[in-house]
Amino acid sequence: MFFSYRISVLVTILWPIPILALNIYQYLGLGPPETLAGVIGKEYGIVSLSGMVIIGTIIYLLYNRLLWGTGASMQSERWMGTIDVLFLTPASRMSILLGNGVSSLIEGSWWICGVFILSWFLFGIGITIVSLPALIITLISTMLALISLGVFFASFFILTRAAEQVAISLQAPIRYFAGVAFPVSALPQFLQFISYILPITYGIQALRKTVLTGATLPNLLGELSLLYLFAGVLLFLGYCMLRIMENKAKKDGSLYQY
Amino acid sequence: MGRRDKNNKSIALMLQGFDKVVSVLTNAIETINLTKVFEKKAKISSRGFSRFFRRVKPKKERIMAVDHINVGIKEGELFGVLGPNGAGKTTAIRLLCTLLVPDEGTANVNGFDITKEAEKVRASVGVVTGGERGLYWRLTGRENLLFFAGLYNVPDGVARKRAQELIELVELQDRADDPVEKYSRGMKQRLHIVRGLIHDPPILLLDEPTLGLDPASARVIREFIKEKLQKEQGKTILLTTHYMEEADQLCDRMAIIDYGKIIALGTSKELKERISEVEILNINASNVKEDVKIRLKSLNGVKDATLRILDSTTGEAGIIIHTDNAESVMPSVIQELVKAGVEIRVVEEKKPTLEDVFISLTGRKLRD
Repeated sequence: MFFSYRISVLVTILWPIPILALNIYQYLGLGPPETLAGVIGKEYGIVSLSGMVIIGTIIYLLYNRLLWGTGASMQSERWMGTIDVLFLTPASRMSILLGNGVSSLIEGSWWICGVFILSWFLFGIGITIVSLPALIITLISTMLALISLGVFFASFFILTRAAEQVAISLQAPIRYFAGVAFPVSALPQFLQFISYILPITYGIQALRKTVLTGATLPNLLGELSLLYLFAGVLLFLGYCMLRIMENKAKKDGSLYQY
Repeated sequence: MGRRDKNNKSIALMLQGFDKVVSVLTNAIETINLTKVFEKKAKISSRGFSRFFRRVKPKKERIMAVDHINVGIKEGELFGVLGPNGAGKTTAIRLLCTLLVPDEGTANVNGFDITKEAEKVRASVGVVTGGERGLYWRLTGRENLLFFAGLYNVPDGVARKRAQELIELVELQDRADDPVEKYSRGMKQRLHIVRGLIHDPPILLLDEPTLGLDPASARVIREFIKEKLQKEQGKTILLTTHYMEEADQLCDRMAIIDYGKIIALGTSKELKERISEVEILNINASNVKEDVKIRLKSLNGVKDATLRILDSTTGEAGIIIHTDNAESVMPSVIQELVKAGVEIRVVEEKKPTLEDVFISLTGRKLRD
């Protein structure tokens, strides 16, 4: 798409900026940046308000991109009428999904860098990166966990077109519970458990630590372990669900309905 | 039962089983009681709010899409499945290529069972579904072929060579490197067909390959299927269609399918000979009203009468009469038409077509 429609390269980088601006200026409306940074830093250990919002929003948008790129790839194959011709080939379903995931990951990588750099320029971020390998590993781990989530969702997209509505309806709650625009610790205690069963929460926390507080790999072991655990579990569940849903779709004939 | 009878029965069963084994071994495709049932929710009869308060779970309606089909298709044969829309043709193809799971029975495709060896079946068949969808429209024709070649594990060098050969075979070489979104309907159809051939399968399943094409493009596709695919390359081809001319022109043998059941099986000649005792009168007339059909059907010697309105303003219509003896029934038919105020233009006795075979078997036209 990026070679066919060159304007989409520019648009892809520009479109998140208004969302970021909205989130950042919502805070700035409450008081001067230094005061807010002081409060947030004291309460939650985050030193850069705009950095907190930018990282959270970018990872959330990345989650959407990987979910729709991987999970909903089955839906778009269904719309295009290519799902049945794909399923006729000997290629494994997991390889098709992971292939979509990897291409979304490659697209996501340059896109993340582009949006981050532009946001840094426009809003300023108090960056403290001590370990570049930690940053790269954290980013890749987060993407792997999100791709696995997409693979898990893909099985539902094979079974029913309603999966799209379910995925859309989950967007707002996930945005809220993952701590996209505020730290998870700001949520009421009894709601925080929801945050901690979402892989995106750990990706956001790990990246905030790496970029904003200079965390190195040993400081990130907790988050990284959980991200890999999520990736492994979701991939396994995704594989099982894919087989079950494909068989069900072949029994009731819903595979090629669009 | 005496000992001799028991022995005879055992021998008969053994021979039946042996026959079955031989046919499975020699046939490229063999279906054994192949059945597919779909369930859909039946409508709830109550209206308005009462349906929410009745707490009645809607019953499921079973639709027999493919009904215990038993067919054997020989290697190298071009076998047709002819039937109206909704007869079960596409469902049968989807069962054979493992996109659907049968509810009863099974089939062997290229010696592999469709339920137990699905992957081997998929590697043995090329499926052509056609239409506007089913291709990646942002990729070029060549890129589409290479993509699918990769999914079929065709080595790179072989894939490139084969893609070029196939592109030339269907005369798409001038447009092979244009995005598919810029192709005409006929070009997309040709690309669909060669996409089904990219992994060089021995068996092709073509689902209405000329649907929606103009007559010239359809003719090109049909010639390609018959001359190149069957005669030159020796592919076994199962083709579904609701165009009787297509089945007549292309198929070595065919099955006529209606409501999921095979109602006739044989060569075109054999099927037409089934109704050779039925003669056909073809009448072209104007000022024809709908009740003429009922009046003609009530005449002695008329087995069936169908009406096709050609122009509703002038009442111009084609009337087809099925009868045992066209010569003897013609006077009474003409008399009845004159009584009804019909202006007769042409009366001719016609040779039976596959459409006539279908009408004689089902009482309906193929395109009703």
